Amino acid sequence: MFELGLQAIYSGVLTGGYYALVALGLALVFGTMRVINLAHGELVLLAAYVAYSAEAHLAISPIAAIPLSLVVVSLVAVLVYVLLSHITRDRELNSLILTYGIGIVLTNLMLLIWSADIRSTTATWFQEGAVLGDTLYSSRSEVIFFLVSLVLVAGLWFWLTRSWHGRAVRAVSSNRDAAMLMGVNPRTTEVLSFLVAGLLATFAGIALYTGKTIDPPLGHALTIKAFIITVLAGMGSIPGVLLGAMLIGITEALTISFVSTSLQDLAGMVLFLAVLLLRPQGLFGFGARRG
Amino acid sequence: MQQRTIITIGFVLLFYGAVPAAFGSTDYVISSIVAALTIAGIAVAWALLGNLGGMVSFGHAAFFGVGAYVSALLTMNAGWPVFAAMIAGGAGASIASVAIMPALRLRGPYFALAILAYAGIFRILATEMEGITRGAAGLLSIPRLPTILGFDLGTNIGSYYVILTIVLAAMAAYAWIRRSEIGFALLAMHETEDATRILGVPSTRLKAMMLVLSAFITGIVGAFNAHHISFLDPDYAFSGVWTVLPIVAAIFGGFRTVSGPFIGALAIYLLDQFVFKSLLPTGHQIILGAALGTMILLSPDGLVPLLGRGLGKMRHAAT
Amino acid sequence: MLRLEDITVGFGGLTALANVTLEVGARELVGLVGPNGAGKTTLFNVISGLARPKAGTASFNSVNLLRKPVQARARIGIARTFQIPQPLHELTVRQNLIVAQTFGAGRRNARRIDEILDFIGLRHKAEENAAAGLALSEHKALEVGKALATEPKLILLDEVLAGLETAGKRQFMQTLKRLHQEAGLAIIIIEHDIETILALCQRAVVLDFGKVIADQTPKEIFRNPAVMRSYTGETPGA
Repeated sequence: MFELGLQAIYSGVLTGGYYALVALGLALVFGTMRVINLAHGELVLLAAYVAYSAEAHLAISPIAAIPLSLVVVSLVAVLVYVLLSHITRDRELNSLILTYGIGIVLTNLMLLIWSADIRSTTATWFQEGAVLGDTLYSSRSEVIFFLVSLVLVAGLWFWLTRSWHGRAVRAVSSNRDAAMLMGVNPRTTEVLSFLVAGLLATFAGIALYTGKTIDPPLGHALTIKAFIITVLAGMGSIPGVLLGAMLIGITEALTISFVSTSLQDLAGMVLFLAVLLLRPQGLFGFGARRG
Repeated sequence: MQQRTIITIGFVLLFYGAVPAAFGSTDYVISSIVAALTIAGIAVAWALLGNLGGMVSFGHAAFFGVGAYVSALLTMNAGWPVFAAMIAGGAGASIASVAIMPALRLRGPYFALAILAYAGIFRILATEMEGITRGAAGLLSIPRLPTILGFDLGTNIGSYYVILTIVLAAMAAYAWIRRSEIGFALLAMHETEDATRILGVPSTRLKAMMLVLSAFITGIVGAFNAHHISFLDPDYAFSGVWTVLPIVAAIFGGFRTVSGPFIGALAIYLLDQFVFKSLLPTGHQIILGAALGTMILLSPDGLVPLLGRGLGKMRHAAT
Repeated sequence: MLRLEDITVGFGGLTALANVTLEVGARELVGLVGPNGAGKTTLFNVISGLARPKAGTASFNSVNLLRKPVQARARIGIARTFQIPQPLHELTVRQNLIVAQTFGAGRRNARRIDEILDFIGLRHKAEENAAAGLALSEHKALEVGKALATEPKLILLDEVLAGLETAGKRQFMQTLKRLHQEAGLAIIIIEHDIETILALCQRAVVLDFGKVIADQTPKEIFRNPAVMRSYTGETPGA
């Protein structure tokens, strides 16, 4: 019983790392543009599919495919940004619906290009087991990408707090006009945050591809998950996103171990709603969420 | 005022008379129109919540599914007559919407996604509560629409009249509220909520009323669908299709007008069925997504106002 | 009619109002003055329900005011205008008044709406879009009109004359005088202009740094050294 719980927590933590990669891009864009990119999950999936094609047609390993995925995802991310910048009225709602539509387009595009068949990597090395101590099991991919996500989260945090561009991003998030007065070009920071979101999405996509299976409807599900984690964490806290992601991961893992596999989504959703209604600013965040 | 009456009468004549006369014998066409009208019903309910309630919802499938299940189960397990069960289905969806009411305090995107989470929760509950809903296996042989005064409403043409009436009733309700003081207060609340509350407007209560009404309409439409196709399972009842298509329809047609969602639904659904699906058998929804995106960028108020402006320009040019 | 005791409002480290005690009777016309940032609008926010005090009690005709949410205050008879006019968007002038009357007064009376339109001089603009088609003085008039439509017992006027030129000001002042006399309402008016206060009010309350520093007739106020100090920073004759 105890080992089962411990294993579940371990798996949950590792999954949390991956979820954090998925969620951070969404959180970043929301921070700078106050826009929820409902096509974000599709970007993650796109990275995975590019890795698939690279592996299937060019015989490149998924890790080596990262630059390729990065290019593709970045281009699409910038395209999404360009479309979004054309919205003039009712920004919040209209961009929600626009990105919803873009998400549908991307999902169906992936369906058309890669068909509905479920794909996964042929590099089975990633999916082989890795054991921590003598008792905690996971796949190699899970461990690797958990570490990757820690590195990226730390890197993101440093970038936002130390580098000029990163701090410009934070300035625009908190007060756009004031930032402009200080010489920050909001457009540049917005594009930059989209590109960084694309970078994070790419790594999430490769993690996804090496660790699990992919098919077109997954994009939508990933967006939902990313949003749930962003809400859980609250605005303005990067480490919060990681913690929120791990919380979701652990909740799901515990539900699978002790209750039932089919209820794992339910657990996450209930947790999401509970936080939304009881503590709207998120578990770790500072911004206001009420209208 | 007169122009509106003429249009309404023309509308009624067209849809109660001309359309059935022209297409009634072609099963495939009429059943597609019935499906389009089902989407239209949800689209009207969605537009009502979006325009008057000021809340965009990504989870209307929740109300659709709850209405469907409540109605189907009442007829199958408790022997209720179909129409009474359908109304109960609507009521059930309204009751379900009470659970979402705390989310009305949240800002736009958060509400939109909170309700999406509810839809997901209902789907999972419907799958897991096998004792009541028969779970993933679904419900078969749901009683069809009854025969009234010798007219079998269970046929395609009969169902057509039923759903048409439901949708028109929903549109009438939308129109009526829009023109009433409640409608004025709701519209004012969008931009100037403090100023309206200062005047004594109970903003949260009004929004809640719109949510309950929107859920009710969607629930009845869901119930209708259950009795029309006589089959139900959780993945179907709570499918994202019942959320996506109405949104595309309402935005496309113009959700700030009463007829916009109706026209949008017919246009979008029929185009999708007869044109897009033959162009791209899989992935035809890509055109829907593109249409949605394009419409939001070019004319966020939708097609009907766009056409209205176009006609206006033509009239000006002619004088 | 309106009784505030020891009202204290603070945000973070800032105290906007400190131990404010005030009583206003029915049919009084009271001026509320003080330097910028003294807390006048905050006081209005407390009375109208947009701000919650940390401490203190407030009652209106023996009803505990602080238990009533914003939207209930119009119903019990408190109306308020905003310094920057907030017409109800997407509605015409007439519809603005209809909303105010339906929800604030709890009844519908088309004739009363027409009367108010005449009183505020906006009859000719009744079907115009309230947000787009009005000049500043007309916006101010609409603010008063909306307040009147709720059939209040107390109106809070927040710098309703600011930004108007002399002729418009004088006309508005006449309107306010008529309002007080004909409608028999209590009015609390925030104004910076000394002449307006002297001309209109029998009583003036002075706020400074969130505290009440004087509560007298206007003539006495302007001979009150504490008041002079708060406005100019010096003691007269020193």
